[in-house]
Amino acid sequence: MSVIEVQELGKEFQVPQKDPGVLGAVRGLFRPRYENKKAVDQLNFQVEAGEIVGYIGVNGAGKSTTIKMLTGILMPSSGTVRVLGRDPHKQRVENAREIGVVFGQRTQLWWDLALIESLDLIAKIYDVPPARYKEVLEQFTETLELGSLLKVPVRNMSLGQKMRSELAAALIHQPKVVYLDEPTIGLDLIVKERIRDFIKKECGSKGMTVMLTTHDLGDIEELCQRVIIIDNGHVIYDGPINTIKKRFGKFREITFETAENAKAPTLPAGAEVLAAEERKLQIRFDRTVSSASKIASTVMSQMEVTDFSLSEPDLAGIVKQIYNGALDMEEK
Amino acid sequence: MIHSLNRRASMYGALFAMIPKMFMAYQLWFWAGLVMNIISITILYFFWDAIYANATIISGLTREQTLNYVLLAFFFMPLVSNDLLWEFGSNLREGLMIHHLLRPVNFQAMNYAQQLGGLVTRMAFQLPIMLLAMFLFDMQFPADLNTWVAFLLSALLGFTAMFFFSWLMACMAFYTTEIWGLGVLLEGITIFFSGSLVPLAMMPAWLRGIVLSVPFAQALAVPVGLLAGITPVSDAPRIWLIQLGWIISMWILSNLVFRVAVRKITVQGG
Repeated sequence: MSVIEVQELGKEFQVPQKDPGVLGAVRGLFRPRYENKKAVDQLNFQVEAGEIVGYIGVNGAGKSTTIKMLTGILMPSSGTVRVLGRDPHKQRVENAREIGVVFGQRTQLWWDLALIESLDLIAKIYDVPPARYKEVLEQFTETLELGSLLKVPVRNMSLGQKMRSELAAALIHQPKVVYLDEPTIGLDLIVKERIRDFIKKECGSKGMTVMLTTHDLGDIEELCQRVIIIDNGHVIYDGPINTIKKRFGKFREITFETAENAKAPTLPAGAEVLAAEERKLQIRFDRTVSSASKIASTVMSQMEVTDFSLSEPDLAGIVKQIYNGALDMEEK
Repeated sequence: MIHSLNRRASMYGALFAMIPKMFMAYQLWFWAGLVMNIISITILYFFWDAIYANATIISGLTREQTLNYVLLAFFFMPLVSNDLLWEFGSNLREGLMIHHLLRPVNFQAMNYAQQLGGLVTRMAFQLPIMLLAMFLFDMQFPADLNTWVAFLLSALLGFTAMFFFSWLMACMAFYTTEIWGLGVLLEGITIFFSGSLVPLAMMPAWLRGIVLSVPFAQALAVPVGLLAGITPVSDAPRIWLIQLGWIISMWILSNLVFRVAVRKITVQGG
């Protein structure tokens, strides 16, 4: 049996429609109009025990809505969710005992209490035996470097400190299923690295099942073997990370600003022009075939370049390309 | 079984105990509140003192009885003023409600433990007011143990009934998301309908009828009436029964409404 089973899952929200102007506002008072918005539609997937799954999509794709239905806070409009065989909404308390959740933009810790008091309370709520709690806390204090933070109230912490504390709070009861909703949002590279290490060590080695949403492809590459990509509430890709990496990881984009209007240059093998606008030239190349310096020198020999920048493909670009059939072609 | 009970007691105890800690976090708030309370109780005292300037008995109450009642009612105000509505409002607005619902705990029981913690804390912070009222305005506590038992049980029952009623009101926050207006309105209603300004005996019969058909007075005027000696202790069992009726009906209603209201939760974004 899978740990997480999602079938034909859908969630509709009613979004109030406001007409512009005073008249519209008055009309809205008496006869509010609503538009149904499908945040998630006909979703199907399964997650097996011990998997770490990256759940990705652009903003508004329906990631958080799905996670909130999996945790049992939101009631689905249609379809079914099973987590460890339970309906998380109907059996909210039983389900809550088995899961750990981090919402990157919110805190579950008590704002005014010192971290250690929040953790003590959480351990009590989840009925963690004192000896085990002590052991886990010691271990977390070391791996997340919480030593100097334990006596600090959460409101006085920096974002990175807060996120490390959040992770400790979410995992102190050693849950079977963990949902991490953008755990690295807004963090610098060093903290990100530490948090990834912690997730790998804690969840990976203990066989926890993890669903991770993020905008950072680095998180996914380091932690997940499998990704589910959703867009507009639908699954558009569900499969190994390697396929995505093979297809998109080898590409880089290089953008030139040119002195005159750019004309299409002749390029070495493995490179193609994505867009040629007024004084701007965007080129994509295959890292395994060509190199940035080769492309740059070729272009510079043909026109005068004032500036250029190199970028890795971002999530929005990947989603767009999947739509354009990039993956289908690969599989054929 | 015993272990499970122990575990629960310890968890709810911890939830209860965190409230004083959160209160202590804002010292300035404490001092400002104290000054406000000193001003209020002084006004209240001299207001009623002035009313009795030309009369010895009003609606069957002597000057001493009335003054003692309003002072005691002021001191025990925390019985009727829980902050459940504000709690729900800010939790929903800041998206924290989801974290509370993610805990493997009965959400209502968790809140009750915390409101009880809030009650004890607020009563402790009322102690300076008590000393002031006792030594400056001659507030009297009864010496009779039976009166105290009658009062304490009635106070706990009334507080509990008020908790469930507030829960019902707090569920409005799921629909409106903004509760400032409702909160202010409810605070005003609470001050008057709880009987904290005017003893129930002085209200005209029709008004008393309205006041007793809503639960505010159950948490303040009714128990304090026992403590101030306005209501005889022999009435206590009847009072407890009525309060129990309030608790049961409000408990059922609050749970029904919450079950529907919680579906309204829309935590978009993030």
